[in-house]
This record gives sequence, C-alpha cells and structure tokens, in this order.
Amino acid sequence: MSDVFLGVTNGVLYGLIALSLVIVWRSTSILNFAQGAMAMFAAYLGMTLSSHGLNFWACFAIAIAAGFALGGLTERVLVRPLYKRPEINSIVVMVGFLGVLESAAAAIWSTAPRTLESPFSQVYFEHHNSTISLSPFAVFQIVSALVIMTAVGAIFRYTNLGLQLRAAALAPEVARLLGVRVNRLLTFGWMLSSAAGVVAAVVISSSGSTGLTPTVMDGFFVFGFIAAAVGGLDSPIGAVVAGLMIGLVQQFLQDYAPSGVSSFAPVIILVVALMIRPQGLFSTMKARRV
Amino acid sequence: MSKFATFSNTRPTSARLLKAVFAMVVVMLIVSYVLSPSTDIYIATAGAMAVSVMGLSILTGFSGQVSIGNAGFMAIGAYTTAIWANHHEHFPIVLSLFGSMAVGALGGIILGLPATRLRGPYLAGMTLAFGYVMSPFIQSLGGFTGGSGGLYFPVLTTPTWFTSLVGESDNLIGANARYQAVLAVVVAGVALFFAANLSNSRVGRAMRLVRDDDVAAELVGVNLARTRVTAFAVSAALAALGGSLLALVAGGVTSSAYGVALSIELLSLLVLGGMGSISGAIIAGILAAYTDVLMTKVNSLTGIDPYSNLGANMKGIIFGALLIAMMLAAPLGVVGLAKSLFAKLKGSRTSAK
Repeated sequence: MSDVFLGVTNGVLYGLIALSLVIVWRSTSILNFAQGAMAMFAAYLGMTLSSHGLNFWACFAIAIAAGFALGGLTERVLVRPLYKRPEINSIVVMVGFLGVLESAAAAIWSTAPRTLESPFSQVYFEHHNSTISLSPFAVFQIVSALVIMTAVGAIFRYTNLGLQLRAAALAPEVARLLGVRVNRLLTFGWMLSSAAGVVAAVVISSSGSTGLTPTVMDGFFVFGFIAAAVGGLDSPIGAVVAGLMIGLVQQFLQDYAPSGVSSFAPVIILVVALMIRPQGLFSTMKARRV
Repeated sequence: MSKFATFSNTRPTSARLLKAVFAMVVVMLIVSYVLSPSTDIYIATAGAMAVSVMGLSILTGFSGQVSIGNAGFMAIGAYTTAIWANHHEHFPIVLSLFGSMAVGALGGIILGLPATRLRGPYLAGMTLAFGYVMSPFIQSLGGFTGGSGGLYFPVLTTPTWFTSLVGESDNLIGANARYQAVLAVVVAGVALFFAANLSNSRVGRAMRLVRDDDVAAELVGVNLARTRVTAFAVSAALAALGGSLLALVAGGVTSSAYGVALSIELLSLLVLGGMGSISGAIIAGILAAYTDVLMTKVNSLTGIDPYSNLGANMKGIIFGALLIAMMLAAPLGVVGLAKSLFAKLKGSRTSAK
C-alpha cells in the first residue's frame, strides 16, 4: 500500500511533465528536450525571491509567471526558425538550450541544492497507530498536479481559446484562413506548456529530499518523456495515465527488484511499450510503419 | 532534406591508411619534440575524443539518427577496459581495445534493435533515457564496477622498445604521456580510416539514403532495420573505443564523468566540427582536448574568476550556445563553412551542399 502512495506521488509529476511535452508536440511537432531545464530555471527565479522574504505562494506564482514568459520567449526566438527545418535541427537546438540553461543556472545559483520552503509538513500521516506513506506535502503535490492537469484539459476542451489551439494544431492553414492567429497561438501553447512544467519543478524542489539543483529535472524529464512516449506523444490523457503507471512500476521495482534492474527500468519500460505499440498506447494517430 | 557533407566516391586504400597514420604520428612527434612536450596529454585526449565523435557522426551524420546517449557507450568501453585490467595483471592493449569495442557494439545492437522502430524525437528521447540510466546502473553493480568511487588500474607504462625508438617523455610533465599520445593517434588514425571506408562503401551509402529518404531506400532494396542497427553497432563500438582510450590514458574511470552532460558535449563537438565528415571529427577531437585551455583563456580575457560559479560553467554555456547558433546558421559545422568558403573563392557554381 505504501508503494502505491509513493508511486502515485511521483507518477502525477511524471504525468504533468508528460502533459506539458504533449501540448508542445501536438501544436508544433517539436519534442522540447529543454522542458525540464526551462522549468528548473523558472523555479530558481521564484526561489531567489523567496530568499528575499516572500512567502511560498508568492514565489510559486512568480515562478509560474516566469515560466509563461520563458516559454513565450523560447518559442519566439529559438523555436520559430525551426518549423520548416528537418526535425534533427530542432532536436539539436533544444538539446543545446538544455545545456545552456543548466550551465547558466549553475553559474548564477551554483550547484549546491537549495530548498523552497513549502508550508506543508513532510511527516507521514498516521492511521490507527500505523503510518501510511503519505504526507501533507505529498497530498499538496498530487493535488497541484491534478489541478494543473484539469485546468489544461478544461482550457483545451471548453474554451474558445482551446478550440483555436486545437484547430491551429490540427490544420494550421485552414485555421489561419478562418481567422485564427496561428502564430500567436503557437506561442501561447509553448507558454502554457512551460508554465505547467514549472508547477512540477516547484513542487519537486520544495520537497526536502531533492531540493533545487540545476540538474534536478533531468531524471524527471526522462521519466516524463517516457510517459509521454508510452502514452503517445499526441495524447494528453495517455500522458497522464502513463505517467501514473510509470510512477507505480518504478516504485515497485525499486522495492522488490535488484538495484541493477530498477535503475535500468526506464529504458526497458520505454522499449517494451514501444515494441507493443510504436505509436504509443493511447495515441489516436497512425504511426508511420517503415 | 537537411544539408550534410558530401563525399567523394573513392575508397581510401590500405596504402593510404599507412601513409595517413604515419604522417599523423610524425606530425604528432614533431609537435611533441619541437614545440612542447606538454601537448602529449592533449593529443592523447584529442585522439580518444575524435574517435568518440566519429562514432556519433556515423549514427547522426550518416544514418540520421540523433543520439543523446553516446556517452553511455563510452562508459561501456571505459569500464570494459577497466574491469579487464583489474582482472589480468598483464593485458595486451590491442586486446582490451578490441574487447571494449566488442562489448560496446553488443550494447549498440541491443539498443539499436528497438530503435529501428522509432524515428526522430522518439529515438533521441530513448537514447537520452539510456544515457541517463547508464551511470546509476553502473554504480548499482558496485562489486563489479567499484560503485560511485570508480575503478582504477595501473597506468599504461611506456614499453622499452618505444623508449629506444623515440625516447621517453619528460618525467616532469608526465611520464608515459608521449607513448599514450602515439597510441591514441595510431588508434584514432585506424578508426577514422575505417569510418572513411565505411562512408563510401555500400553500407555507408545505404545509411545516407536511409537518412535522406527511407521510403526510397526501401524501394531500392535497402534493409532499413539492418542498416539502422549497423549504424548503432558501429557508432557504439567507436564510442566504446574512445572511452577505452580515455580510461587507458587516465588509468581509471568514474561513471559520473559519462553522464548526460558528456553526451551533450559530444553532440556539440559533432555539430561544431561538422556532421558526417572525417576531418570534422578530428577538429572536434582537438577542440575537446583544448577546451579547458581555451576556457582558461576566455576567463583571463574577460576577467572572470575561473573558480567562480560563472567561470566554472562558462564551458557549458558557450558549448550550448554554439550548438544552437551552429544549428540555426551553419548546420555543416566548421568543415562545411570552410568548404563553402573555398567553393566561393574558386568561383565554382557548385558549392558544397
């Protein structure tokens, strides 16, 4: 039972990162390898202000705002020249951006871990004199991830903006003819994705166990990517479900499998899932068979 | 499709190999004797890194599969060498190099098989995951690999025939460095020769066709899966060879050195030198060896304290920024830039594509 709680706690974060990758992938067909690093950078901006005496929620809000700005800026400056280029260019540029952000963060804030003090206790709840592996902080973690997922889902499904976003992703030319400002929406998609990633980064870095370091998101990005790929890069629901699944599988392996297996597990999960369904488990798109 | 370096269709012969390797060794020895013996250690690193970058170049430049995990293959090679050296008191270098390549190639095949069904970003993400888990995986096999402390073995010492033939290196600067440098140059020369040969062979042409148009490749009878796995195996073998050389020169290996950061550095070096070209790999190797020297220069020119956070991370910032700038402005790298400049100077209408 404790494995389930621990697995879900990590799984929702993988799902959230996967979701932010899916948003960008659907609209621009670019896999943002710098997603985790961008979120880390924005979290640092929020953390810096917290050391000037601002409370946790203000810092959280500022980090999210920084995430929006960073996402928009990235799309305008780095990503826009890539749309008509082969995908190898976009992969290399985003990897380069990942390197720049991690080094810049280390240059500005050093590699020593910092924590953003959250108002939630990390002591496990007790139930009938036995502890269960769930703390108020973990509840906060799960709830904030679920809130962002629901909000993103609601924006896409129920708002006019979401309709335009989907139209711009599905048929940019038609959407443009019908008066949708496609370029502006692509920027907005990146902003939204970046901000969703920031929520994950802030939550991760405010837990005492990891803290905030320039490379803190590397591992979460890898698992988030695996979740997105397993779920199908174009399926938001798939991303969230796969994120939870991977969190659980990882936790069970960590507790019951030899350490060599559990550390290699991410690659095995990815390979097995893509062998079964190369287009992802939940994707609606037909994968190109070659 | 994308722009890549083009090749002549003549395959280098083994006579040319001997000449080229011999010329490289002579140049290296002249540099070592005349200019400064302290270049030896840089040359050794340059040889190892040139081989590693060539490995990535075959995968990415030839067959169009981007890898952000080739440092993982380098780690396989380095650890194979280190484990071998720890279990055998006398280990022939050639054997341990070949052993590392074989284990690396096996790793490449294992990762390459599922990779045949993946394209573009999926594939890059999978290699990233592989590169990311490699270091914790190695550390978890603590009894075998020395865990996070790394694995050490006796440094490669200069054999007597070498001393009588070319003389010993200056002990003040680093004993055995000259021997290691010659070894690295010879190994790199042979490896790059085979890469050049592969490039213009049937397999190499198939790889480039798969990269440019996989449907057309399949229509003319190229086995896509086999071509892609071959590219992975060769790439991993070369990366392992590079890692093995690095381990031999350093006399040890730590897994944390072969993380995602090194994979990104490999990619930067590849893009800077020029994808899919032999001279690009050599430029990249030299660049890799002299990075730290260059960074010291940059820091002293700009007045940044090298021990400050900024000074220590300048390398990562500059490499990443160059990677972005090159990919947006000059995807062919330094070699491509030089070629197109040369074509312009000649006034020829057919500039290097």
